[in-house]
Formats: sequence, C-alpha cells, structure tokens
Amino acid sequence: MLTRVIGRLKPLILGTAGTVFLASCATNAPQDTFQPKGPNAQKIDSLQKPVFAVAGIIGLIVASAVVYSIIKFRDKGQPIPKQSHGNPALEITLTIIPALILAVVGVFTFRTVFDLNKTSDTQMIINVTGQQWWWEYDYPTNNEYGITQPIITSGQLVIPVGTKVLLRETSRDVIHSYWIPALNGKRDAVPGRITLNRIEADEPGIYAGQCTEFCGLSHANMRMEAVALSKEDFAKWVANELKPYVAPAKDSLAKEGETVFLNQCTRCHQVNGLTREDGTPVIAAPDENVWSGAAPNLSHLMSRNTFAGAMFDLLTPECRSDVWKSESATFGEKYLAGVSEPCLNQTDLRGWLRNAPEKKPMYANPALLADTGGKYRGMPNLGLSESDIEKLVAYLLTLK
Amino acid sequence: MANIENFATPSSAMGALKRPVVTKGWREWVFTVDHKKLGIMYMATAMFFFLVGGLEAVLIRLQLALPDGKILNADLYNQMFTMHATTMVFLFVMPMTAGFANYFIPLQIGARDVAFPRINAFSFWALLFGGLFINLSWFLGGAADGGWFMYAPNSGPIFSPSHGVDFWALGLQITGIASLAGAINLIVTILNMRAPGMKLMRMPIFTWMSLVVQFLLAFAVPVITVALFLLSFQRNYGATFFDVASGADPLLWQHLFWIFGHPEVYILILPSFGIISEVLPVFSRKPLFGYPFVVFSGAAIGFVGWGVWAHHMFASGLGPVSVAVFSISTMAIAVPTGVKIVNWTLTLWGGKLWFTTAMKFAIGLIVLFTIGGLSGVTHSVAPSDTQQTDTYYIVAHFHYVLFGGAVLGLFSGFYYWWPKMFGKMLNEKLGSWNFWFMVIGLNMTFGPMHILGLQGQPRRMYQWTENRAGEGFFNLAFWNLVASIGSLILVIGVFFFLVNVFITARSGKVSPLDPWGARSLEWMTSNPPKEHNFDSIPTVRHLDEFFHRKYAEDANGQMQQIATAEEVLKQLEDNADAHIHMPSPSYWPIVLAFGLPITALGVIYSVPLAIFGGVIILFSAFGWALEPSTAPDTDFDPPSSGDTSKDVVHVG
Repeated sequence: MLTRVIGRLKPLILGTAGTVFLASCATNAPQDTFQPKGPNAQKIDSLQKPVFAVAGIIGLIVASAVVYSIIKFRDKGQPIPKQSHGNPALEITLTIIPALILAVVGVFTFRTVFDLNKTSDTQMIINVTGQQWWWEYDYPTNNEYGITQPIITSGQLVIPVGTKVLLRETSRDVIHSYWIPALNGKRDAVPGRITLNRIEADEPGIYAGQCTEFCGLSHANMRMEAVALSKEDFAKWVANELKPYVAPAKDSLAKEGETVFLNQCTRCHQVNGLTREDGTPVIAAPDENVWSGAAPNLSHLMSRNTFAGAMFDLLTPECRSDVWKSESATFGEKYLAGVSEPCLNQTDLRGWLRNAPEKKPMYANPALLADTGGKYRGMPNLGLSESDIEKLVAYLLTLK
Repeated sequence: MANIENFATPSSAMGALKRPVVTKGWREWVFTVDHKKLGIMYMATAMFFFLVGGLEAVLIRLQLALPDGKILNADLYNQMFTMHATTMVFLFVMPMTAGFANYFIPLQIGARDVAFPRINAFSFWALLFGGLFINLSWFLGGAADGGWFMYAPNSGPIFSPSHGVDFWALGLQITGIASLAGAINLIVTILNMRAPGMKLMRMPIFTWMSLVVQFLLAFAVPVITVALFLLSFQRNYGATFFDVASGADPLLWQHLFWIFGHPEVYILILPSFGIISEVLPVFSRKPLFGYPFVVFSGAAIGFVGWGVWAHHMFASGLGPVSVAVFSISTMAIAVPTGVKIVNWTLTLWGGKLWFTTAMKFAIGLIVLFTIGGLSGVTHSVAPSDTQQTDTYYIVAHFHYVLFGGAVLGLFSGFYYWWPKMFGKMLNEKLGSWNFWFMVIGLNMTFGPMHILGLQGQPRRMYQWTENRAGEGFFNLAFWNLVASIGSLILVIGVFFFLVNVFITARSGKVSPLDPWGARSLEWMTSNPPKEHNFDSIPTVRHLDEFFHRKYAEDANGQMQQIATAEEVLKQLEDNADAHIHMPSPSYWPIVLAFGLPITALGVIYSVPLAIFGGVIILFSAFGWALEPSTAPDTDFDPPSSGDTSKDVVHVG
C-alpha cells in the first residue's frame, strides 16, 4: 500500500525535484562552482551545464520508466507473462543511443581539455608552493607589471585582472591542491614536480578557495583567497610590496615589539630589510627549524587580510565584510588600505601568538614527531608573555 | 552436522595432524569447511563491520552537523574517515559479497561445495583476523589517518607518526590474501564444478557477475599488494619508494592505488548487480530481459574497468593527452553500465510485479544507482571533474553508487535468500520499514551532498566554516544539518533490519520450500539446504532451470504450472546419489590464518614475534599438507542430516 501511494506520487516528486534543486542552493556561496569569474572557469562551466542537463533528462526518463512499470505492471491477478528473453534490436538501439550522446560529450570534452591546457599566451608567472598548511606565492621579476624584484607573500594571491596568469605549483612536503573555483578547476601541488594552472579574473574582487587534496591534520584549515585588482591598483600593490623596510620609531611599543620579533620569530619568519642593532641583516632559517623548510614571509603582513594559511582573518568581521562586499569599482581602494589598528582582528591574532597549535591543529610539538630531528611541523607554542604579545601586535601593525 | 560427531580417526594420521574428531558446538563452526557455514560466517563478520563503519559514519556526520564541530578533534576525525572507508570497502561490502558468493555459487551451479574447501575456510579466517588486526590500531596509539587512498608522501612515517598506517597496510595485506585465495577458489569452482548441462550461458546471473568479480580480484589485488609492500617497507624498514628527496615520484602510489582502486569499485558493485538480476525476474514473473547483454555488459565492465583508473587523478597534472584519453574511456564504461539499467527496467516491463521487500530494494537500486551513475558521467568530463573532485559532490556520487547501488543490492539479497539460508522468512512489514527508512535516510544524507559539493565544500575537512557557507536559508549550513539528520534516519533503517533478524530468529515464520516462486537451482533443495546441497545433482536444460521444471507453455502459449516445488524436489530425492563425498573439517585453516596477524604484529613491533608468526604459518602449512584426507576411515559412511538418509563420505 505504502509503495503504491509513493509510487503514484513519484512523478510529482521527481518533477519538482529539479526545480527544488535549483531553488535550494545557497546564494553567494564563496566557492560555488557554477559562478565563473574568469575565462578558464567559464569554459568549464559552458561544458558542465549541458552535461548536467542531459544527465538530468536521462535520469528522469529512467525514473519515469521504472515508476510507470511499478504502477502499470503491478500484480493485479494477471496471468504469468510470456517468458520473453529480450529483444536484441531494442537492446542494440538502447546501447547505441547513449554511446552517441557520450561521443558528442566526448568531442567537447576533448576540445576543452586541450584548450584549458594552453599556456603559450601567458602574461605573468607566479610560483605557488604548498606546505602544511599554507601557500607561498613567489612573483618572479616581471618588468611589464613593475615587479623589478621578486616578491614573496602568502595568504592571499594578488593578481591583475584581465591577465593570463600561469601558476607554477609545487609542494615542500605532501601533496596539496590549489583551487579557486571562480577562476579555474583544481591542480595538485606535488612535491618534486611542477604542475601548471592557468587563471585569469575578469573583474576586481576577492575569490575564495580551499586546499582540496587531503594533506594531514589541518587540511580543513588550509584556505586561500585570490585577490584580483585593476591593473593600476595592482601596480600600487607591487609598489607597496617593494617598499623598503621602515623600522618602528625609537622608544615606541612597536620598537620593543621588534626586539621580541628578533628574538622569537626570525628563526623562521623573514621580514625583508629587518636588521639587528648592529645593522646586520636578519636572515630567517626556517629550513633549520621547520620540517617543510619554510615559514611565511611576514614583510608587509598588514597589506594582507589573512594569516595562518588564510585560516584566520586579519580584519575584524565588519571590516572584512566591507572589503568582500564592496563594488568592483571601489574594491581596489578598500583592499589596498590594508589592515589598520581599528580593523585588526585582535582576538585571533593574539590567540595565535599565545598558543598557535591550540588555534590550529599542527604537530608543533617535536616530541610527537618521529625522525624529524626536532623540526616543527607548523608553528609551536612560543610561551610568550602577555606583554610580549602586546608589543608584538604593535610591531606587526607597522608591517604595512 | 550433528551426526558427524565421534568419528574414528584413521590410524594412518600422524600425531597432531589429524582431522577434527568432535565437530559439535563451537567446533562445528571453527573447523568447518562447509561453504554454507563459511558463507554465513562471512556475512556475520561483514555485518559486524558494517555496524562499526556505520558508527564511524555517524560520528563524522555529527561532527559536521554544525559549523566548527567539536565532537572529534582533527586527528580523530582523520582516523574516522579513513577507517570508515576502509571498513566499508574492505570489511563490509567485500566480505558480504564473498559471503553471498560462498553460500550461493555452489548452490546455483548445482555443486556440493567449492573446489578447495579448506582454502575457503582459510580465506574467511584471514579476512576476519585481517579486519580485527586493522581495528586493533584504535587501541594501540591510533588508527590510520591518511584516507583510504593513503596518498604518499602523507602516508609516510614523518607525516603519520602513529602505527595506524602500519596496521592498515599489513591488515589489508592479510585481507588481500583472503580475497586472492577466495577468488581463485571460486573461479575454479565455477569453471569446473557446474552441474551437467549448465553451460556458461545457462548460469544464473549472480554467479556470472561473481565470476567477473573473482577475475577482477585475481588481477587487482596483486597491484595493491605491491603498493602496500612498498608502503610497509618505506614505513618499517626505511625504504624510499615515495621519498621525494631521494628522487621518488609520489604519483607512483596514485597509479598503483587506482589501478587497483578502480576495478575495486566494480568488485563492490557487480555482485549487487547480480543479486538484483536474480530478484527482479523472480518478482516480475518473467526472465531477465536480455540475459546475454547483461552477461556481456558485466564482462565488458570488467575489461574496460582496467582502463579508467587515471580519472581519479584528473587534477594531478597528468597532461592533456592522458586526461583526454581517460576521460573518453570513462565515458565508454557508462555504456555497458547503462545497458544493465535498461535491461532491469525492461525486466519489470510487462511483468507481474510482486513488491516484496527484496523487490523494493532491487527497484530502489535501479533508481538510486542510476543517479550515482549519471553523476559519475558528469565527472567523466575531465574539466568539470577538476571543479568537482575532492568535493562533497564526489562523496554524494559514490555513496549513491555504493549505498544506493551495492548496499541496497545486498539488502535485497538478505530478504530474498534469508528463507534459503535459515528456513525462516524475514518479516515483510519490518522489511518495509527497513526499506523506507533506509531509502529516505540515504537520500537525505547523500542527496544534499550534491549541493554541498557543487557549491564548493571540499571533502575530508574535520570542520567547515560559516565563512564559506553562503547566505540564504538553503545555505551550506542547512544542507550539512539535513545530511546529518538523514544519517540518523539511515541508522533507524538499519536498526529495523537488526530487529527483524532478531525477531525472525526467535519467532519467524517457517519458510515454505519455494516462498517466492524462484527460478534458479539454489531453490531446488531444502531450506536450509542439506550439508551436501542436493540429493542428486540435477541435469540442467534451461536458463532458469527450476522455473522450467515448474512451468510450461500450454497450447495457447500461456504459462501453466506443471509441477510444484515439492514435486520437483521429490523427484531429486527419489533419484538420490549413493555415496556422496563431502570434505572433512580441518584444524589448519584457522591456525594458518592466525599466523598472519601475529607475523604482521611482529613486523611492527618486534622481529622475533614475526618469526614466531612465521613458524605458526609454516607448521600449519605442513599440518594442512599432511593431515589425512578423510576424517573418518573411509569405510564409514555417516548418514546425512537431511530428511533422506543417504550416505555421505567426508573427504579432504
């Protein structure tokens, strides 16, 4: 009985299913795969939409045939049917039709695969390196875009709009995967290999992404954001990244923070231009202290909006949403303003400095590690005092 | 079995190397080599691991019900999803299908047991010990945490410092040995032990699909064996097969794993295809539509299944040529799969449908597997796959394939064959509750995952954040919650099944001889079958032999009953064979299998222990080889346990 009632209702259920599916999606999901914002993602989208439609129609046909049979051929006391063993002509027809549909899909797939792999018209190369659990972005010199010296940053990938950017990906430890859905599909970052991933953004804005190859404990926290700026704004961003280091004013809290930084942080974290009191440049040695051999370069930290592998925002929620929701015409200006003291997400930043492994699961305790020679995986708990944290925050705010 | 106790042991037996003398109580099961008992043991083991894997799944869904879940920490979550997949694939679906194959293949082909009964027993014990061994890691410092795909180098000793991956790799070797031995055994059985007249193209379709699966196992398991050896040597003996600094390429693991892993998908699904290809004709009262097409499409899937593995690696940077080729081959495999769906639907068409629980599960499979198959086609399109892979869309896809497909097929098999195995009918009312809760639960759990994935939620994240969940009422937070609630409804569905089993065991209706009006040979014997299956081996003249002994066309072309099942059986009993030879129980399969986890423990913890395990294996191998071939002396023919008193001789 139950079967029959549900059986009769099924066409209704299925008919509405498609509509419901479309109506039941979130609005503005940051990683929606159906909202391309650049030509590469657009090519994928143009391919996947018809495939979804065809698959949906075939699904409906099968479901309808089953439902029809359930209703029409249920046992109503009819005699035992003729023991027919099949109908080869019908079988062959029903084999050829799907094969033809798939052949058509195959042709378009073929074309798109090769199209997406084209790299000969690249305008800018960025080296992208994954490690547990953050991404490093390394911009080789590129005079056309004013990058006269290499730039190394992390947390946010900044690109100019309308520019064919080639990401050259690799990894320093395990396999990661780079994915900004609005710009292109995924590409794994494999240690010992360089994989290529082409992206291009049509308009200024901020596009969310996430590491999609399982990479261990904090895989879930390995996020990324791609920031697209107009060409003029990008030039400003480059100019800021290349600006020399400005030491904090004497006797300021920030200056004391610089000393804490020198003592505690520069073993792993580089700040370009930072010198010791005697004027010798400070070169960080993450390769001696961290298993992957790298730690984020913190030069111009406050020009970024995130930290700790984009797990946390440097901006308070209000300031963050102000940037994320701004119109594309004003986006660049808001983004380039960077992080000011009133906008700084003090809670997460202080929490991180207080005890990083508590905020983000990492193997920060070398005692838990086999055979790494005491090297950390991730940032350890530095045991900083509250006053040290106060000073450090003041100092980090100067790294504009 | 009750009457093969107290056998005299042949005087030629050497000391310890005798056949079991007492085969009552627990010994009846532990030393048995009867394919039916082993089949039931396989199924019970698989059901236990189904509950374990289900518990892991529920914990995962509880953790993900709300943003920033706190029920599990990252470490435990990673172990949980790794073990959920490992358990469901290797310790639930594979052993469950092995159980069905063990129990029903000899019956379906008119044989009295499998070709190598002791190896059959060994396979079961190796599976059980391997499964327990893997799960032992929970209590010894944590389970494997690298995902069931265990990608290098994340599976290495630096990145996964607990012993979990060691247990995982060695445990899967043990279950792999079980699978390989079982596969060879069943291939030989099917090819050599069919009843007279049972040509290959008269074999029941479940046996056919199982045959394809055994060939897949025989060729796929060695690949994962190699991969697991490399992994174990890397972890336990400092080898550098996947160490990039030493010049290794971690993609080697991915290729090895998926060359095994993709055929594995068909290993999981084809038996269920076979089961519903038995169930649909029985409850439609007409033969399977296009039997040869179903057979050949199954074989075609078995072949093409070897040429699609790299579709798991579309994002890994293989280069456009490989990607395009694997994309096309993946689309190609959709064609034989589609053939099956068409044939099942056309089997229903024009039938006289009887909606038993078994039939409901079978029809559920057609619809839900079709959804999984079609979402599979959407990511055979490689560029789309680079958006979809490693998101919840894939989780939705393969759960529709494996739960909507494989698991519903297995449940269809439970309800269909329960009277055959236990002589009692599972309760149909509870069965209906079982079905509807499971189907609604699984659609609620896995349906929303399509949306989650397409809207960008990646897999394998121990937490998700509201920042990425989007806005509106139907945002990702909503669908995560729906999926979690759905998983609890699924649990209720499974609970109804367990209650049904319990109630049926205590007070279930005794099954008539032919409760469903079945069509194939396994029903041409008592419920449950006698130890020797058939009193006389039937001669087969048709596909669906049993049906054609009961029904024939009259002058008007109408099917008319010409004999009852009881009459058919009576005829077999009247012509019973004299001197039926049955294999004797043996001590050695379980002892030999027990040596394997001991050796594996030794590999992890101490070499002397490994040597001790090796000694057990060696000693029991000798015991196996040297024990006498019969339990009693050969003059002694004990009576069978069936209604008819026929002579049964136990031989090795």
